[in-house]
Formats: sequence, structure tokens, C-alpha cells
Amino acid sequence: MTRTRSVSKIALWLGVVFGLTVMGPSWALGHEGKCPLCKLDLVQNTDSLDYEVVVKVGNKKIEYRCIYCVFGDQKRYKTDLVVYAPSEKPGEPVVLKRTAGVWSAPDSTVFLNSFAKHKTCATESRTFSSQHAFDRYVAKRAITDAVALTLDEMLVAAAERKE
Amino acid sequence: MRRTWFVILAALALALAIGPGPEAGAVSPEELPGWMRDRTEDHLFYKAAPYNFSVYSVPQLARDLNGVAVGHAMAYEDLVTGRDSELETETFERIDRVLRNPPRFMPDEATIGPTFARRFGALEKLFDWAHVLHAQTIDVLTDEALSNDAKDAEIERLWRFYLDSAPYTITGLPLNMDFLWSQPESEAFRKKYPKVNGLFWGYHWLQTSMYDMLWRTSTDTHVPQYELVGSRYHELELYKTDRDFMPMMGETSPRFAGRFHEMANAFDNLHMLHDMVNDVLASPELDPAEQDRRIAESMGKVLTSTHADCRAGEGEPGTLHDHRFPAGMPGMGMMKGSDEDVMYMSGMGWMNMSECAHCSVRLPKGNPWGATLSMEGWTMTVRCLLCARDMATETPGRGIVRAATEDPARTLVLIGDEEGNWTSSIPEVVFLETEGGDHPECTDWSRAFTSREAFDSYLLRYPEYAEVAPLDLAAWSVRGRPTPETYQKIDRPNPYRTEEGGEE
Repeated sequence: MTRTRSVSKIALWLGVVFGLTVMGPSWALGHEGKCPLCKLDLVQNTDSLDYEVVVKVGNKKIEYRCIYCVFGDQKRYKTDLVVYAPSEKPGEPVVLKRTAGVWSAPDSTVFLNSFAKHKTCATESRTFSSQHAFDRYVAKRAITDAVALTLDEMLVAAAERKE
Repeated sequence: MRRTWFVILAALALALAIGPGPEAGAVSPEELPGWMRDRTEDHLFYKAAPYNFSVYSVPQLARDLNGVAVGHAMAYEDLVTGRDSELETETFERIDRVLRNPPRFMPDEATIGPTFARRFGALEKLFDWAHVLHAQTIDVLTDEALSNDAKDAEIERLWRFYLDSAPYTITGLPLNMDFLWSQPESEAFRKKYPKVNGLFWGYHWLQTSMYDMLWRTSTDTHVPQYELVGSRYHELELYKTDRDFMPMMGETSPRFAGRFHEMANAFDNLHMLHDMVNDVLASPELDPAEQDRRIAESMGKVLTSTHADCRAGEGEPGTLHDHRFPAGMPGMGMMKGSDEDVMYMSGMGWMNMSECAHCSVRLPKGNPWGATLSMEGWTMTVRCLLCARDMATETPGRGIVRAATEDPARTLVLIGDEEGNWTSSIPEVVFLETEGGDHPECTDWSRAFTSREAFDSYLLRYPEYAEVAPLDLAAWSVRGRPTPETYQKIDRPNPYRTEEGGEE
């Protein structure tokens, strides 16, 4: 490697380190972007709760803001899908599948879909591994009139919503 | 015969030419040259060249461009013949039928819009000459005989030919788009005729997107690339009514706009002139004489002669003579809310065009220059193949990657489907990609080679990668890493809207 090349690399590294240091909070780490459906910012995972809903289609991994947005945008995709839907536990998503057009989920899966506006969809359209987890979540956040939906009910709710 | 004719017209124009415009703002009618009142026919034809009409080697692109000419002319003619109330209905449908069944040959717009051509003869000439420049650059880029370097040289010659031979031209300096679109009548056309305005901006999306599709890519990729680009044009881009601003060359063809920045600016200024004219014609409070005056003023704002003493990168911010440009993009004027570092781009948000759109590290200069990724209507520049692939992986829909190889004459074109499966323009392509490489050095460890021999040769020169196995297209396609930790999102609101857009 030439001397010029080494110097330029060191300068580049110093620039990045300086930038990371001085830019502070404006430097965002992680999967930032817009939801393909609602166009609002993706909400980043936290230590206590995951938010990023990941759709795997072939080699692609597309992130959505909430599980409703996935169901609402599913017609875009023609082939099989695997959805990693954040659950009540960080790092333990509920895995949903659409195979030959038919959706499936683990037996105990329930959904919350109580948001009125997309600003709150990341917290009010979610997937849970059990009814118990759902009850704890809505109680903790005092979400009134929350109804635990089955997969079929969630699909109907998504299809009926007027956007 | 044309050369003599050009010289005569150029001499006439010189005699009538206006001097530099006022420091900031309006161009008064008294300052406008006499040719603006000239209604005689004086078409200029193409510079004679063997590549003329090579665009027909991409047949659907050629026909779609012919359709654009019809669309422009039909809308203008109806606007000036008292049929403006039908523009969003009958006119739109008539234009749409043509766009779906575009003509085989380029029409003479004056035959479709004779009233408009008679009333605005000078404007038609200004449009027409710039359109000829547009068309001939595309002919050069689609020509199968010329090398990439020869094409670049010919495009430079076409630009000089335009400036030297046409009596009056559109400036190649960047102009402040926010200033030009802040006239009293600005946005009138978009608000009054959103569907037809969507068509105009859809045409301009096509006319600006096609440059990076064609520039320095092998001609045998043009038809397959246009299958994707043309589909998007017909299915989405023509019918968008929610764009914040017209598509810009720097946004949709950043590589070409960076290389041929004067030409890119001229095309953006041409498209802005279309918008300014549209807005005047959509303003019923202006009587015909006042409309004529305002359109003449609009022409004056974009003429080369108006900015004769100005230089790119200089000028008073927010004025007619603001010739600054965003960092890394000399082929684009300043946009609403932008400063020298960042600008707002439709579909992407705030971006710094001198940085990789995926890892936010500064873009390299020279070769390898990195890659571009075209998806969802935008074309973004990234530092390396990994950034291109991973950005495509995170984005729904089909896409095109155009990337540097070790051979500056050969651009790798990858066309991706809805599932992220890629087809390559170079069948024997080999990729280098290390595990755990750091992004500030990604141009070293994420690269494409035109052959295994080229890959091996690179590793001999850079033994630190000697243990890295070559990847074929299939193996490279399924790799992926999280968004790099250098990624910087610029968190500012959309300057074109009071609140960030999105479903509510």
C-alpha cells in the first residue's frame, strides 16, 4: 500500500471518529428509514421492546413500522413471505408466514390493532406470543378498548381499514 | 447549409443580445432581446452525425420520448385556445391515450400546438433547441459504435455546438430553483391541474432518469434496463400528483449530472422554464398581454446571456444570480431549504450528495467510483457493492445497480427483481467482500471484477485480502449485513410541507 493511500485512509478514519464524537445525537445508528406503507419513520428497537417488523421476501429484508403496515402492504409481494414480528420480548419475534398465499402463525399468537392514526401504530399494532402477554401489555400502557385478535381477525381488520 | 444558417442567426442574436440581468430578481421587458417578438419559423436541425436517431435502438424509450413531445404540445395548445377547463379531464385522457400508444416518430410540436407556437414562437424555439440537445445526447449514449470515452467527448462537442450555434441558449449555470419557483404565479399550474402537472413532471422524470441508465453502460443493457425504468414510468411516475418538486438531473442521474454539470443544469433550467410558463398560463388574473410579458421574463431568467458574467459556485443566495450548488453535485442548483451541504430529495429525505447514501462515508473520487442504485424513482450513489446490495435488500421492488469494476471502461449493471435476485451484464463477474470489513475502507474490500483473473491480480497487489474467497453472483446476492454504524440520518422536516407527509 502506498504512503499516500495510508495517509488518506488515516485521514478518513479521523474524520469519521471526529464526526461521531462531535455530531453527538444527530448521528443515528441502526436501521433508520421510512415504512414502505405509511411513510413514517421506522421506530428503532430498544432494550425493553422491539419495534422493527421485518418482512423477508427472497433475498430482501424489508422493514415496516408495525404489523398492520405489513398486512396492509402484502399485495405488493407475489411470492412467499416470512415476517419477523416483534413480540413482548426483545429479540424473540413471532414468526408469521405466508405460503402460497395462506398466512400462518404459532397457535397462541394474538394481535393488538387499536391505533387510530399511524403516529401510534408502532405501539398499538403489535404481535404477542400469548393472550397473557397481550393483557400485560395493554394494562401497562392503559390502552382502552383493546381487543386481542386472532390471525384471521387481524387480516380482516387490515383489509377493512380505509387508508 | 445549417452551419451558415447558424452563423447568420448567431450574428443576429448577438446584435440583439441582452446584457447581464439585474442583480437580483426580475428581468424587465425593455431588456429582452428582439427575437422574443419574432414569430417566424426558424427551426434548427440536428448536428450532422452518424449516431443520429440511435435512440431507436431502445425502441420503447424512443417511442416514449416521442409521446412526451405530443403530451407537451397538446396541453399547451388547449391552455391557449380556451380549453383550459378540460385540461384535467378530456385533455388528460387524450394525452394519456397517446402516452400509452406513443408515436413511432418524433412529431413536430408546432403542428400539434399551432396556436401556442404562433403566440409563443420564441419560447418554442428556445424549447426546441434545448430539446435537440437533449435528443442528440441520447443518440450519442445509445450509439453502438462509439466507445465510452468517445461518447463523452462527443457530448462535450454537442454542448459547445449548442452554445456556439444556437442564437440563444439556456444557461448551464446552476440556478436557485427555490427562487425561480417563488414568483407570484408559482405553483398555480400544480394546484389547478394536478394530473396534467403530474404528467409534465413524469416526462421530466423520464428525461432525467435516462441519462444514468445510458451513460457508460453497455448498449446491450439498455433495453433490459429500460424494461424496468419504462415500466415504472408508465405505471407510477406519470401519475404521481404528490411530488414536492419537479425531478432534477442530480437526483435521478447523479453520475451524469456530476460529469456534465453544465448540460445537467441546462436541462433542469429548461424544465423549470416549462414550470414557470405553465404557472403563468394557469393564472387567469393575468390578461394575455401580461401573460406574454411574464413568459418573456421567465425566458430571460434562464438565458445564458442573462448570466454572462456569472460563475458556478458563486452568487447572492436566494436571488436570480445564486449559482451555488449542493456539495458534491455541481449539476444542480440550490433547492428549497438546501444549503451547501444537504438538500431534500423526494422519496429519500435530507441527503448529502457528497456522501454514500447507505453508509454516510464520503464518496470516493476517481476509480473505483462506487455504484449507483436506482429504485422507487430515485438514483442514489453509494461507495461500494455491499452498500448497493444491502440498500436494495432493504428497499421493496425491483432495482438497478450500476457499479465500477477494475476496468474503467466496463460498468457492471445488475438488474434485480422483487425478491433481490440479480442478473448481471457481465456473466463472469467476480466479487470481493470481506467478513467484518470497516466501512471507511469499503471501497477496498467490496468490489466487482470483470473476471477471475482480474480478481486474482487485485489480490496480488493487496495481500491483506489474500485469504478472501471470490464470490460469484449467486453467493454475493445472498450476503447481507446490518445497516453500517456510520449511517447518518439527517433529521429535518420536509421543507415543501408544513408537516411531514404520511398517512394519518
